[in-house]
Formats: sequence, C-alpha cells, structure tokens
Amino acid sequence: MKRLLLFAFLAFFCLPNLIAQEQPCTNSISGKVLDANTNVPVPYAVVKVDGLEKYTTTNEDGDFVINALCSKTNTLLISSIGYANLTVVHEGNSQTKFLLSQEVTGLDEVTLQGERLKDVGTESISQVVLDQEEIKSIPTQSLGTALSSVQGVTFASVGNNIQLPIIHGLSGNRILVLNNGIKHGFQNWGEEHAPEIDITNANRITLIKGATGVRYGSEALGGAILVESTALNLNTPFYTNVGVSGETNGEGFNTNLELGSGSENWSYYANGSFTSIGDRTAPDYNLTNSGREETALGVGLLHKNKNWNVGVRYSYLDQNLAILRTSFLASPEAFIRSINADEPVIIEPLSREITDPNQETQHHLAKAEVEWLYADDAKLTFIAGFQLNKRQEFDVRRNADVPIVDLDLITNDYQLEWKHPSWGGLKGLIGVQYFSQNNDNNPGTFSSPIVPNYNIERFSSFIVEKIEKGRNTFEAGLRLDFESNSIRGREPDNSTFRDDFSFTNVTGSLGYVREFENGSFRSNIGTAWRTANPFELFSFGQNRWRLIFGLLRFAEDENGDPNTDNVALFDESDVQSERGYKFINEFKINKNDSQHLLTVYSNYIENYIFDRPITVTTTVRGPSLAFIYDQADALFLGADYNWRNNWTKNISTDLGFSYLWSRNIGDDEALINQPPISTSLSVQWDQGNLLGLSSSIVRLRSSYTFEQFQAPRTIPIEDLVEGSAEVTLDSEIFDVLDPPAGYFLLDLSWNVKWKNFSGSIAAQNLLNTSYRSYLNDLRYFADEPGRNIILSLNYQFKSRKNNE
Amino acid sequence: MKTIENLKNYKLLAILFIAIIVVSCSDDDDAPPEENLPEVITTVTLIFTPDGGGTPITATAVDPDGEGIQDLIEDPAGITLAANTTYTLTYTILNTLPDPDEDIGEEIEEEDDEHQIFYEFTADAFSSPTGDGNLGAGNADDDINYEDEDSDAQDGSGNPVGLVTTWTTAGTLMSGTFRANLQHQPGVKTADSDSTDGDTDFDLTFDLVIQ
Repeated sequence: MKRLLLFAFLAFFCLPNLIAQEQPCTNSISGKVLDANTNVPVPYAVVKVDGLEKYTTTNEDGDFVINALCSKTNTLLISSIGYANLTVVHEGNSQTKFLLSQEVTGLDEVTLQGERLKDVGTESISQVVLDQEEIKSIPTQSLGTALSSVQGVTFASVGNNIQLPIIHGLSGNRILVLNNGIKHGFQNWGEEHAPEIDITNANRITLIKGATGVRYGSEALGGAILVESTALNLNTPFYTNVGVSGETNGEGFNTNLELGSGSENWSYYANGSFTSIGDRTAPDYNLTNSGREETALGVGLLHKNKNWNVGVRYSYLDQNLAILRTSFLASPEAFIRSINADEPVIIEPLSREITDPNQETQHHLAKAEVEWLYADDAKLTFIAGFQLNKRQEFDVRRNADVPIVDLDLITNDYQLEWKHPSWGGLKGLIGVQYFSQNNDNNPGTFSSPIVPNYNIERFSSFIVEKIEKGRNTFEAGLRLDFESNSIRGREPDNSTFRDDFSFTNVTGSLGYVREFENGSFRSNIGTAWRTANPFELFSFGQNRWRLIFGLLRFAEDENGDPNTDNVALFDESDVQSERGYKFINEFKINKNDSQHLLTVYSNYIENYIFDRPITVTTTVRGPSLAFIYDQADALFLGADYNWRNNWTKNISTDLGFSYLWSRNIGDDEALINQPPISTSLSVQWDQGNLLGLSSSIVRLRSSYTFEQFQAPRTIPIEDLVEGSAEVTLDSEIFDVLDPPAGYFLLDLSWNVKWKNFSGSIAAQNLLNTSYRSYLNDLRYFADEPGRNIILSLNYQFKSRKNNE
Repeated sequence: MKTIENLKNYKLLAILFIAIIVVSCSDDDDAPPEENLPEVITTVTLIFTPDGGGTPITATAVDPDGEGIQDLIEDPAGITLAANTTYTLTYTILNTLPDPDEDIGEEIEEEDDEHQIFYEFTADAFSSPTGDGNLGAGNADDDINYEDEDSDAQDGSGNPVGLVTTWTTAGTLMSGTFRANLQHQPGVKTADSDSTDGDTDFDLTFDLVIQ
C-alpha cells in the first residue's frame, strides 16, 4: 500500500514533466532592444523570461532570440546598465521591438554610466566620464576643478573663481568645450576667462584626451570636454531632486533643484541653482575679494513623434566673480612691492561683498535639435544653437563703477549630421556645420577696447568612419574648414583699424582599437588647427596687472627695440595658424581585482601661441612689466598612469601619476606655465550598509605636486627695473618669480545614502597647508585657500507611478 | 493621417530655418565705439621758477606711445638747479593723444580734494624742506612746503595738494634724484593718507644736480 501511494505521489508530480518531454516546447521569441529616445540598439541587455531559468543577452545590434519556450505567452524582464528595467508580456512568435528608457540616476541606484557609448570618431581616443554623483558631491566646484581628479588633467586659474581645464599641458582655446553638443561661445582668451557653465545640474561630463578636431570642430588641439545637462528621457515618472550644501571656507552655500518627467511621447526638465560664496581664507590671511555669486537656470523639452525627435533646451547662467584685490595694484611700483612680499599687500576683514576687480557675465544658450530616425541604423540630425554672452569686467581704477571691458558676443551654430546605414560594415557620420561669431564692444568703458569688434564665419564639413573586424576597430576621419575673419578695432587715440583674412584648413585622424580578453589598446593620431584669437592678435596695453601686446601689435624696429606703434595686417605679417599633431595611446589591463590604465602621448604644435614677459617698460605711472604674445614650435611628451586595486570587497586604492615634458623646440628653451608632475594616492572604504545607511563610502586622497623644474629662468623684477639685468627681444624666456615649491595635500570625504537622501561631508586641504600653485596666475600675490569643509545633502522624490 | 504628421514636421523645420535666416542676418561692420579716455597723462612738465625772477628750469617726461611699450623720454635728462636758491615748483600736465591736447592739470585742480603729489629726493639736497621727502607708507607728515590746499576737504580741513610747492636748495649735489608721485585718492584722501593710498596718476624720477 505504501508503495502504491508513493507511486501515485510520484506520478502526480512527474506527469506534467513526462508530458512536456513528450511534446517539446517549440515557441520562441526574437526581438530587438532599442533605446527609447534614440532608437539606437542596446547591446548586451539581459533578457529574462519571468519564472523560468531562461535568459540571454542581446548582441551588438540589440538582437536576441530565446528558443524552446513552452508557453506562447511569456513575461519578459529586460534590463541593461543605465536603463530602467522593462517588464513586458509577450504573445506569439512575432519579432518585436522593445524600447528601453534611459534611467534618471537616482539616489537608491548604483551609478553605472561610466561605460557611455563613445561617439563615432572618438572610440580610439582615451576618454573619461564623470557622472552626476561625482559632480554633485561638491556642488560649488567649477568645471576645471571637477575634471582635475582625472590623471593628465589639471587647471589653470586666476584665483578661486576662474579655472580653466588643462589637458596634457594645453588649455583655453585649445580645449573645445561642448555644452549639450554646442561649442560654448565665450570670451575665450587670456588666463582669466573660464567657460561659463554651471555643472551643478550636469548629468555627465566626458573628457576626451586626444585631438578630436575632426569630429567636434577645429581648435581641439589638446582635447574636448562634453558637458551634458539633464537627460530628456521618455517613460520616466515624475522626479524632483533638491540639494543644499554649505562650506566653511568663504561661508559658501549652494541650493539646487531639478524636476522632470517623461511620457511615451513627451519629456521635460527644469533645473536651477544658486551659489553664493564670500571671501575665502588662506591658512595665514584673508583672501580679500575672492567671493562668487552664481545663478543658473535650465529647461528642456523633447517630443517624439514616430521616427522624429524634436528637442529644445535653454540655459542661462549669471556669474559675478571677484578677483583677488591685491592682484590689481594701483601702481606698477605697488606691484613690485606686492610680488616681493610674503603676504598680500591688501588684506581686509572678511566680507561677502564683491567689489572691483570683478567680472560679471550672463550667458544664454538656446538649442534646438531635430532627429529623424528614418531607419534602424541610420538617422539625420539637425542642430541649431544660439548663444549670447554678455561680459563686463571691472578694474580697480578711477572709473571703477564703469566696466573697463564690456562685450557682447553672439554665437550661432548649425549642424546637419547624417549617421549613415552600414555600408558593408562601414559605419559613420557625415556632417556639415556653419559657425559664426559676432563680437561687439559696448560704449562707455572710458578705455580703448582690448579686444576689437569682429565677425568670424566658418563653414565645415566632415566625415568619420569606422569598421570592425573581429576584435579590431579601425577609425578614420577627415574635415575641411573654411574660416573668414573681419576685424574692426580702435586705437587709444580713437583712430580705427581694419583687417580681413581667411583660411582653408584640412584636418584628419586615424585610430585603432584592439580588445583583449582582459583589456584593450587604443591608438589615435589626430591633427587640429586654430587661428590666433583676436585677443592674441590685437590686445594692446593694460590687462590686469601687466601690459600685454598681441602678435600684430608688436614689432622689432630697425634698432632691435620693441615697438607697438603700428597694427600689422594679418596677411602681411608672419603670424601663422597653430597646427597640432597629437598621437595618443591607451593601454587598459583588467586583471583579477586590479585595473591598470596607461596613457602615453606626444603632441607637436607648430606655431604654438603663448604669452610671456618681455621687459619692464617705464611709463608715466612708473615701471610696468610688459608681456607679448609669441609663436614657437613646441613639443609635449607625457604619460598618465592609473592603478586601481580592490584589496578586499570593501577596500580599494587608486594610484595616479602624471608626467609632462614640454619644450619650445624651435628656440630650444623652456615653455612657461606648464603643469608640473603630480601624483596621487587614494584609499576608499566602501562599506555598503553601515549603521542603517544603505551606502557609506569613505575616501582619503593624498596628492603631491612637484615644483615645476622645467620653468624658465628667473630674473627678479627689481633687476629689470634698475636695468642691472639686460634683456632684449632675443633673450631667453624668463619669469619674474621662481616657481612655487612642491606641496602635499590631503582631502577626506564621506558619502552616505539613506532612503531618498544622499549626503556627503568633505574636507579639502585637510591639513590646512599653505601653498601656491604654479598654474595660478595669482601665485605672484597670495597663497591658495586653506582648509574647507563642505556639507551637502540631496533629496530625491520619485513618483512610483509610471505615466505609461 | 500620416500626411498631417509629415506636414507638422515640415512646418517645424520651416520655422527653424526662418529662425536661422533671421539670426544670421544680424551681422554688422562697425568699429568699436569712440571712447573718451579721461585723465590719461602722456606729458608732465615740472617748472622750477626761481624766486625773484630768472628763467624757469623745466624738466619734461613724455610717454610717446601712451600705453605702448616704448620707454618714457625725459627731456632734458635731469633737473639742474642752482645752489642756495629758492624755487617755486608748478606743473603742466597734458594728454596729447586727443587733438587738441587735453589739460589734465585743470582737472586735477578741480578735483583737488582727491589728489596729492608726494615727493622723494636725495637726503638733505634741500635746506627747506629738510629730510628726504614724504613718499612711502606713514611718511605723509614729513617736511614738504605745500603752498596749496584743497578747497573741499573730506575731513573738514584743507589738505595739501602739491601743484604748488617751494624748494630751497642746499649746497652742491653732483648726482641725486628727485621723484614726484601724483596719487589719485577719491574718498581716501585725509590728513593721514599717504602715497600708498589710492592709485597712481604719475610717478616720475629725474636725476637731480645742484650746482
């Protein structure tokens, strides 16, 4: 009886299986997983059949097949990094498209945007992505400081508010900054103008270390920075992010807000942020007039209609940046006194007020983008951008309430790009661009304009193609630019001058990528060119604490003496466009728990344009240090190395090293203001759940920046004033102060998450070290800020309901 | 239905292209506006008039190219005064960039409550004033024979300006220097302000010979 019961029991449970084996499951599902916004296939997405142990991943074209399914109706769970999980009930054997929506990085989710799909034409170039979490942990930081955590990247600054990214020794208008795909149009000259971009609400910042002139536009001799603001995602429930932060040094605070939502056909966002920082302090004294005030707003709207995506974005930034008071001295004599003093000549009690010298800027950017996804693997994109940059700069002078520089710069951009269908494995992009800039001086500065009025027009066309053969990818690109310049300037005696000149230039790039079992190798050689900026050509006279003379304003007279009486015509001068050849290689090795990343590069720049001190000239106001713009052939060789190792599940270290050798090889002498060698070591303790928190990450970062041993020789300024040091136009390059000593800095941060909250407490310059940075123009006058403790808190509300 | 959708898209593109044309047509061809550069000083002449008559002794500093890189030209190369003589020092201060020249001296007189000229010279070159001048931090009260004071002093009493001063030379001096420094001190000039306050309008050093 017992046996019978057992048999019946087994029969009852095994029967369905036996029947199933007799009738093999023959249903199958095949489909394609696409990005809901872009219709781009999503490779390596995981497709799982709910309730079964059956799953697969999509191939490179987003296709997948699951065979041998018993039921005709199945529930599919589709997931991929960076996208919201999709659950769909699927019937029948039909081939279907599945659309995944990009995910809004939430506080309760792990950020995994690191492996962004690289733009065509840049795959073979070493690049680094900063995600929202890294950006938001210090909301008051600038684009320059945010990127400086990357090996090989640092920033040139004028004080604490104006910070320009430097990639492999190049900065300013040798780095292309794209704001939502539009070249940021601003007064990009000198060291005192940083891109006016609020990164508090940036979704992602991509740094490309190679010459990407072909893909993004000439001028990218050193690299490119792509800033993307809030994503316009479809099928996204309503969300709101609110953030506040406060910091001790400068009693600064920031508040920011972002909200958005996406339905099947519409998506929008709105964001805003406000920052206010007072005077900062160095360990030993106040940095008088070093505050900042900034307001940013942004809105975006996307409409999807069948194969058409129409998106518009608008952003606005209003900045008021103080410049250290002691760096604008009333007289040349005071300047000499100041650079020889250990402490700033002017130290006042701390204040939140921003007075002269300062810069007030408003930047408007409006952009429209129309995408026609006319085929699965092809699309046509039209982008129109309009930018208005209004800038006023105030100097310490008789008319301090009147701006000494008052400029309106209008930039227009039109791009038409065709991502063509695969031609026998050849994938690529063909585009045409029109770019124009119109710079106007506003009346009433009581000063002769340091930058002339100008119009620049550029027509460009480019093609970038790639082909994959197994584990090898080959890339090639070609670009043709035609640029015309029309210049109208005015002299101090109110007479005018004009100049018109134009260029035709060809740039190209070649790249190779090889994927290995546990690593990859990338190699790229690219050319880029840029014409001298109108400031580099035409600047004349007082500029902050110095006199500066542009390439066309400065000549050697018959006696070999400097002369600045005439304005040379561009076509009659020996001024040449800058032309760069950058060769960059990246080796990546992933082994067990460690990752090695080595980037080795060389960059040869013909007719490199730079400014340097030339002499001390006597004026009615006393002796003044004069700078000129000069050209030379320069060579940059360097390497960045990064080693990340996970020692245990929770503890990892990051070791970084950047080396750059640079020289004016034309004249066989040093270059000025080049980044010194730097090295860093950080230790990270990532404890996941701790004390009821859902995430806890403690990071200690130490860094040592060496003294710049490749700096030019030093001639003390007194020797120049007294005439005991004889300098001529042909003398070797010099500086008036030795480069500052090397320095060791320690930063500590603790990032936590709890429910919908995330927060961080961070200490910069934890040891309150007094130091000066060789790349800070104010190194002549004051130390860098001392210890700063930053507390930030973010709250995210995300409605559970999906508006489907 | 599809045609309507397409029409909508074309409309959108049309609007965009119109926007482009409108924006692209805003080019201009103007030079920067004319600017009036107030109180630029290109030429300073020191005029030493001997008491009781005689030919005044002048020394002129000219910045031939304004903000340009050329050095200042002093004509004559120095100041040569007679020993044991009293002189009254006055100025001609010009901006020669506009045509006709602009007399900055008049403007300084009008704004005398915002200006002061400080002096520095080889010690004991003069029997009056004695010492080596009143230039430098905290030295404003040192001996200088100011013969003028401002009309509308900010601290209630007249402070020296320095457009008129008197100098009595001591014995012979083979090689000395004479420095005159005009400071612009709006809202800063008081009885206690010195040559490190405000900003510099001119700061000239001449060789000085007394024979």
